[in-house]
Amino acid sequence: MGITTRALLKSLWVFHLSTGSCNNCDIEVLDCLTPRFDVERFGIKLVGSIRHADVLLVTGSCNRKSAERLVKLYKEAPQPCLVVAIGECSLSRGMFIPSYNCPKPLDSLVPVSAYIPGCPPKPEAIISGVVKLIQKVKGK
Amino acid sequence: MMKRNDLLSEIQSRFKEDIIELFDKSSHRVYLEIRPGAIIRVAAYIFKDLGARFNIASGIDTRSHIEILYHFTVEAIDLLISLRVKLDRKKPVIDSLTPVCEAANWIEREIFELLGVQFTGHPELKRLLLSDQWPEKVYPLRRDYKEWDKTAVRDRGTK
Repeated sequence: MGITTRALLKSLWVFHLSTGSCNNCDIEVLDCLTPRFDVERFGIKLVGSIRHADVLLVTGSCNRKSAERLVKLYKEAPQPCLVVAIGECSLSRGMFIPSYNCPKPLDSLVPVSAYIPGCPPKPEAIISGVVKLIQKVKGK
Repeated sequence: MMKRNDLLSEIQSRFKEDIIELFDKSSHRVYLEIRPGAIIRVAAYIFKDLGARFNIASGIDTRSHIEILYHFTVEAIDLLISLRVKLDRKKPVIDSLTPVCEAANWIEREIFELLGVQFTGHPELKRLLLSDQWPEKVYPLRRDYKEWDKTAVRDRGTK
């Protein structure tokens, strides 16, 4: 494991983006950060700007307007930037798949490193997803 | 404030020619179908003279008409009055409520972009929410809407 990967995985800084979700996934993400689950003790911290982030958390079904912003944000992120899709909407658009306003799935817009299914996923599922992501990047 | 039934009979006698049907659904809910030409008159009476609150308008494309419901609440007597207008599907045009009630501005813009209803007299009838790439004269909530975007992916990536 090189020094960049080591530094990246030591403490994942997360930028949370909602691309038109119902906010339920966002609430679960918030649950992960609050004292009951408190992922900050593992160094996972929410940051206010994509330029500080290692991970881009995406919730929601990527509507026509937010898809543009998502791609723009991904380009602005310092590389390597890992993308984590949270919830059914960002995985496959869920029930919004025939919607006139949701033409493309998230993984056709940006490369996705981890998928966390659920509607919404439980905080345990999100933490387990993050653990799997770290294992994957470590190459285990 | 007038009692509920007095208020309804007052509206009925005042707009005898404009009201097509009054559907008294429950103690809190009344549907009032009116001629599209009379919308300003009736809405102005309910909004200004009765002091009702304009909640929202909603539009739907039915088989026979494009239908708009304007929802007003008379809070003093806890009554929700929904004004129903039925517009021609081929050429949906109606007077804008914005000069009477500023709150109708954005919802009329939204009904315009999603259902293609023309609101005459609206100060700034342009799109509200759709993306800039959306083609002109394509209305997503119409029954005859066909997908125009050839790049859209409509499967879940599984066989």
